[in-house]
Amino acid sequence: MLTVFELALRSMRQNVKHYYLYFFALIFSMSLYFVFTSLQHDQAVQNMTHPSVDFFAGFQIGGVILIVIVGIFTISANGIFLRRRSREIGLYQLIGLSKGWVARYLMIENILLGLGALLAAIICGALISRLFVLFLLNLLGLEGIVDISFSVPAAFKTLMVYLLIIVITSIQMMLKVYRSTLLNLFQADKRPDLTKPPKAVASAIFALLGLVLIGYGYELSGHINKQLFLNALLMLGSIVAGTYLLFRVTIRWCFYRFRKRKDGHLGLTNSLSMAPLMHHTKANANSLTLITLLSAMTITMISMAYSFYYSVEQETRRDLPYDFMFENEPQEALSFKKELEKEGIDVKHHVVEAVLTMGIILDPNDESRKFEESLLWLPAEQLKQTGADLNIPPDGEAILYNAGASLAGDLDEQSKRYPTEIELEQHGQTVMYTLRTLMERNIMNLNAPGTQLLVSEATMDKIAEQMAGTPDYKKIRFETYQVPDKEELAIASSLYNAKYVSDERLTYDFYTQYKVVLQTTGLLIFIAAFLGLVFLISTGSILYFKQMTEAEQEKQSFKTLRQLGFDVDMIMKGIIRKQAIVFLLPLSIGMLHSIFAIEAASFMIRSDTTFPASIAMAIYTVIYLVFALFTIGYYRNIVKKAMS
Amino acid sequence: MNQLNVGETVLQARNVHKTFGTKGNTQHVLKGIDLRVTRSEFVGIMGPSGSGKTTLLNVLATIDYKTDGTVLIDDEDISKLSNTALSAFRRNKLGFIFQDYNLLDTLTVKENILLPISLSKMSRRKAESEFTSIADVLDIKALSHKYPHELSGGQKQRTAAGRALIHQPSIVFADEPTGALDSKSASSLLDVMEKVNQQRGVTVVMVTHDPVASSYCSRVVFLRDGKIYSELYRGDKTRHAFFNEIMDVQAVLGGDHVDSF
Repeated sequence: MLTVFELALRSMRQNVKHYYLYFFALIFSMSLYFVFTSLQHDQAVQNMTHPSVDFFAGFQIGGVILIVIVGIFTISANGIFLRRRSREIGLYQLIGLSKGWVARYLMIENILLGLGALLAAIICGALISRLFVLFLLNLLGLEGIVDISFSVPAAFKTLMVYLLIIVITSIQMMLKVYRSTLLNLFQADKRPDLTKPPKAVASAIFALLGLVLIGYGYELSGHINKQLFLNALLMLGSIVAGTYLLFRVTIRWCFYRFRKRKDGHLGLTNSLSMAPLMHHTKANANSLTLITLLSAMTITMISMAYSFYYSVEQETRRDLPYDFMFENEPQEALSFKKELEKEGIDVKHHVVEAVLTMGIILDPNDESRKFEESLLWLPAEQLKQTGADLNIPPDGEAILYNAGASLAGDLDEQSKRYPTEIELEQHGQTVMYTLRTLMERNIMNLNAPGTQLLVSEATMDKIAEQMAGTPDYKKIRFETYQVPDKEELAIASSLYNAKYVSDERLTYDFYTQYKVVLQTTGLLIFIAAFLGLVFLISTGSILYFKQMTEAEQEKQSFKTLRQLGFDVDMIMKGIIRKQAIVFLLPLSIGMLHSIFAIEAASFMIRSDTTFPASIAMAIYTVIYLVFALFTIGYYRNIVKKAMS
Repeated sequence: MNQLNVGETVLQARNVHKTFGTKGNTQHVLKGIDLRVTRSEFVGIMGPSGSGKTTLLNVLATIDYKTDGTVLIDDEDISKLSNTALSAFRRNKLGFIFQDYNLLDTLTVKENILLPISLSKMSRRKAESEFTSIADVLDIKALSHKYPHELSGGQKQRTAAGRALIHQPSIVFADEPTGALDSKSASSLLDVMEKVNQQRGVTVVMVTHDPVASSYCSRVVFLRDGKIYSELYRGDKTRHAFFNEIMDVQAVLGGDHVDSF
């Protein structure tokens, strides 16, 4: 007499070829989780990074997202496998085994399978985590050999994730066994969702609504940084709902119209692509929506992270155009220069003499908005000597340099303010200067006082003359240093940090700032890429599993077609079209979503995101399409074997 | 429509052998079958289970390969054709009706029927008129836009028959077409097949174990142990008389039990 346990073991051995994908998916997601948490708990890497980089928090948030995606993935995969095994579940009940028995049997099988996957995941994870550490160090711009030891807390957390997976899938199994009737179980393959024609008016309305919602979401993304939270939520909601309607109604409606126009003359290729897709509209709509949204999320996430990482140097340069800057500190500046020269470091030293006054920048769109601020007048001719990239403004005109401008609101909106006037109060008299335009970068390092205004030297001298003696009038002597060689710059930076940093005033040097931002964004891109990989593999696997199941169900059709005289290549043409729809539709819509999302989020990055975002998308697409190729390969095999 | 030269040979099988299995464990299923089918014939193949009738059909229909002998269809030696050519041959010259219909669940009746000509260069108008005439004969016009799961067994099999006939094949192979039907649907299908055979001159080779079904044929070939045991021609006999003759041979052959007429 076989016990439930023995039967479960035996069935697992026989079903290995059906399970192996589910099994690998489990191993994969759990081992990545293990690696991720191992890194989180690893002190060695943490100690090497700059203290201001929040290592732990980044990993913690990443970990939570990872659990969520592993959960979604397991539910989807398990759902597909349960559907596939409906007949088997029905058969057990048909021969008189109770629902409780069947549920117990499935659960034992699941726990054993999961346990195997857990062990494999921890072993794999421990082996590959070194690789990931090297990758992370490389991204953070750190050198050194780090030995990562087996992390017990990570193993424990992975065990928790395993338990979570078991609980979720067991609930799913119980629902399947207790909720479905025998008839449902036996007809799971055959039951079409919707073959009735869609109701014309209602469908047309909903089909349009889907498009309108997506359009509205896109429209919102254009001005998201006004009322950021509300708009972001609205945008997300309308795009999610719109995408669902798109797959559930719009595309089905288009297919239906197309098919109706064909009036039976569908042709082999459409018979093998459009017809089966329409046959399972409901199930397909759910999974395609899920995949579209996951793709959109992943692409946005990695594109943004990569854009941040990619533009670190440019971004830092916008804030800090000079490697080092001293402000009215001739002794320090001199001794720093001597130190650099002693080290044999090639350095370019310049002096810029500027003037600080109080004044008002008028806003032509808002007359009442008048507040006095510190204005730093910088002489263009002197700055040009330092190698700065600028045009000397005509006399009497100024150009505003502000690296943080885009954070204060929409740039296009702001640029409407210019040209405007600057109002200076001098001994009871008012003088006006023209403010021509705004540049989104600094012309002097971030820590220089006041709003940076570039003027010709003559204009500055005139202002100095006019404003001398007014309150808060000040002459400032900036000394700037540029170290062209990267390695020498690193040494110079450590010299600077050893002696010239003080708590009393703001001191920034380019290299230190660059390193901190590089590490923060490096961590960001690492986590994003890691999550992105898991997302990508999950979405790809869900599609692959689904198509595999459909391929099995369509076996008989392929056999019939082969017997009717259609050869493998003819049939494959239809299948390739189906895969093109199934894979490319969510990818392209997801990508379109993410383009708008990146556009909306790009106010956080001043540099152009086109290049890094394109790279990220290209990599995503390539890996994603590998799954499509696998699926097509699987189908080809089935079609080939259909006749024998 | 094909030019009908009654008496012209459509299918010629000479000394066909088929063995299954590997060396040392072979099963000799067909042991030298000679069969000639002429244009517009309706040939039934009968025989007890294991006599090789389905194997013979598969070999004749190019679905399976013979081990020895030759099969000519329209003077073409089918064993000499490459895989691609064989597919094209099946698509253009042969029609199939299977016991379990084998319709595509995802396609409507009309789409299923039009499938075989989907890759041919036939114009849409021509295809439409072909479909209409066949659907009229088979009485399934009203079902055009229904899906297989909405049909009865008989309706499904008539759809399958439509699919087998749409491209005007030289020969239609039917494997137990009434096997899954109740007797009423079966006889209505057979009526239709007879009508198609007589009106359109379609050549049909049908495997069946049902003497009622074979009584519709113009000739019945009996197999036993992989060889042709005997042949009966209907000639001018009534179907009832032919049925009784078939029953007599069947009784000698033994094997399958028989439904009463």
